[in-house]
Amino acid sequence: MISVYYFGAISLILIGLYAILTKRNILKMLVGLSIMETGVNLLLISVGYVRGKSAPILSEGVSANQAVDPIPQALVLTAIVIGVATTALALSVAINLYERYKTLDVEKIRGLRG
Amino acid sequence: MSQYAALLIALPLMGAFLIPILKKISRSAIMPFLAFVTLVQTGIAAWVFKEVYTTGKPIIIMAGGFRPPVGINLYIGHFASLFVFIVALVSFLMVIFSMKSIKVEPKDKYAMLFLLLMLGATGMIATGDIFNLFVFMEITAISAYALTAYNKSGEASDAAMKYIILGGIGSSFFLVGIALLYGSLGTLNLAQIGQLAQLMDPTVAQVALGLIVLGLAVEAEIFPLNAWAPDAYQAAPHPITTMFSAFVVKASLYAMARILYLTSAVSSWGNVLNLLIILGTLTVIIGELSALRQTNVKRMFAYSSIAQVGFIAVGFALGTQAGVNASVFHMVNHAIVKALMFLAVGYVALELGGVSLEDFRGLGKRMPLTAFAITVGAISIIGIPLFNVFWSKMQLVMAALEAGKTGVIALILGASLVEAVYYIRLIHTMWFEGEGEKIGEDTLLGTIMLLLVALVIIIGIYPDAVWQIVQKAGKDIFDVASYVKNVPLMGVSP
Repeated sequence: MISVYYFGAISLILIGLYAILTKRNILKMLVGLSIMETGVNLLLISVGYVRGKSAPILSEGVSANQAVDPIPQALVLTAIVIGVATTALALSVAINLYERYKTLDVEKIRGLRG
Repeated sequence: MSQYAALLIALPLMGAFLIPILKKISRSAIMPFLAFVTLVQTGIAAWVFKEVYTTGKPIIIMAGGFRPPVGINLYIGHFASLFVFIVALVSFLMVIFSMKSIKVEPKDKYAMLFLLLMLGATGMIATGDIFNLFVFMEITAISAYALTAYNKSGEASDAAMKYIILGGIGSSFFLVGIALLYGSLGTLNLAQIGQLAQLMDPTVAQVALGLIVLGLAVEAEIFPLNAWAPDAYQAAPHPITTMFSAFVVKASLYAMARILYLTSAVSSWGNVLNLLIILGTLTVIIGELSALRQTNVKRMFAYSSIAQVGFIAVGFALGTQAGVNASVFHMVNHAIVKALMFLAVGYVALELGGVSLEDFRGLGKRMPLTAFAITVGAISIIGIPLFNVFWSKMQLVMAALEAGKTGVIALILGASLVEAVYYIRLIHTMWFEGEGEKIGEDTLLGTIMLLLVALVIIIGIYPDAVWQIVQKAGKDIFDVASYVKNVPLMGVSP
């Protein structure tokens, strides 16, 4: 029986990928990219989950052996920031594209042809 | 003493953070400051290179004094010291070129992104931790996206958007690969992954490695995910194009090879190599055939660059020591030759305002030095004896022969034939067609070009010295046991 967390995370990745591959509007593609990144982050977090344990903060009443794996949380914290930076850059490029071509349809933007 | 090698990461970072302050004081000081930082970086890299090759021991830097696998470590072995030096040197040459060619504002942001791109590539080559590798890859990628869009034209935005979307997919794949590796082995340290690799479930390993190869293939310009490359090469500022081709690609290829060889104990490893050999072959074929029908010379060189990357990937996928050595040799040679060629083409674009094949008519009479540089580069890439690329292609062919992969030999020879067609067409256009007035060429850039030409010819005539260095660097990648032994892991055993 596959865990619901894994299933959900991988479905999010696939939904994001589907949106990137099939949508023609650049903003929708960027939404797809964000969904995909969210899915990856959820997958990373669920790798480190240990059933029945609490957050890895050592305070009164919580000892070290009662915590879930703290490493994926550090990874996800980094990955979220990277995802936001990429999205911000992509959105500014999208604004610039709209100013030049007056459209956000990828099939109508024909700047470069090889 | 050897911990000072950490300055390779720290110096560009400090430089990048100082630039916004410097901008407030004096705008004209930004480019000289950039040249100064890259020059110092080249000096440190040269010292590290000398240190590693004289002692024969890699420099291991432990972040914060935590021993790996708890802390992050940098592993500057024979390979890393060689390529960190190449990265720093090419960056320095490109800063000199940038002083002439970057006229659009804002220069301070250009300088910052330039340093971050160099930092990212250096970090990717030096790191010993897989997640740290991901972070450095993203630093490289995000600065590369921004630099591609730097010219603010419609074309540049278009190219950058393609690059961002493909890069986003690639980095997500890579991260899923890391999640699978971490989930099955419980470690992120590359040396410990190498140590524990044989315990991995073959199916999980196959999926994880496949995803990692695909994820790195975006930056490394390997076939299904390289559509961004020709556009980005055409639209990016000229010095940046050189940096993409000379080392951003090399850093990703190295990361791919490093991870692949560390997990060579996994039983499904052969399948991953087969995947890479198929992708590499397709990259060569598509790159060469697309280059054949280009009229824009910068775009033609971009496709040629992609094809060379395919050779390197195929060499790594042979799975033998000879194949790895040949690939590393090709990486060094290709970095030198493509730095020369993109520099020359960028200079032509700067002087004549375009890089279509028409602009190259009579270039031999108008700009003889630049035309000579392009000619030497082109002849070298085709693989004619007495030039450097001949030797690395030769080594690739011999490695393929040894591994019994005759298809690869046919591929390399066939591709060289196609290369000959389009490069000789270009040489003919430059020297035997059209007329023109002589244009005074810049002495500084001329000197750099002549220096690179000299390097191409010297390696071509005396390949042995470089071949010795390259063999050590190749052993660094192939010999997993000594890599693991060199990293002082905290008494953790499988």
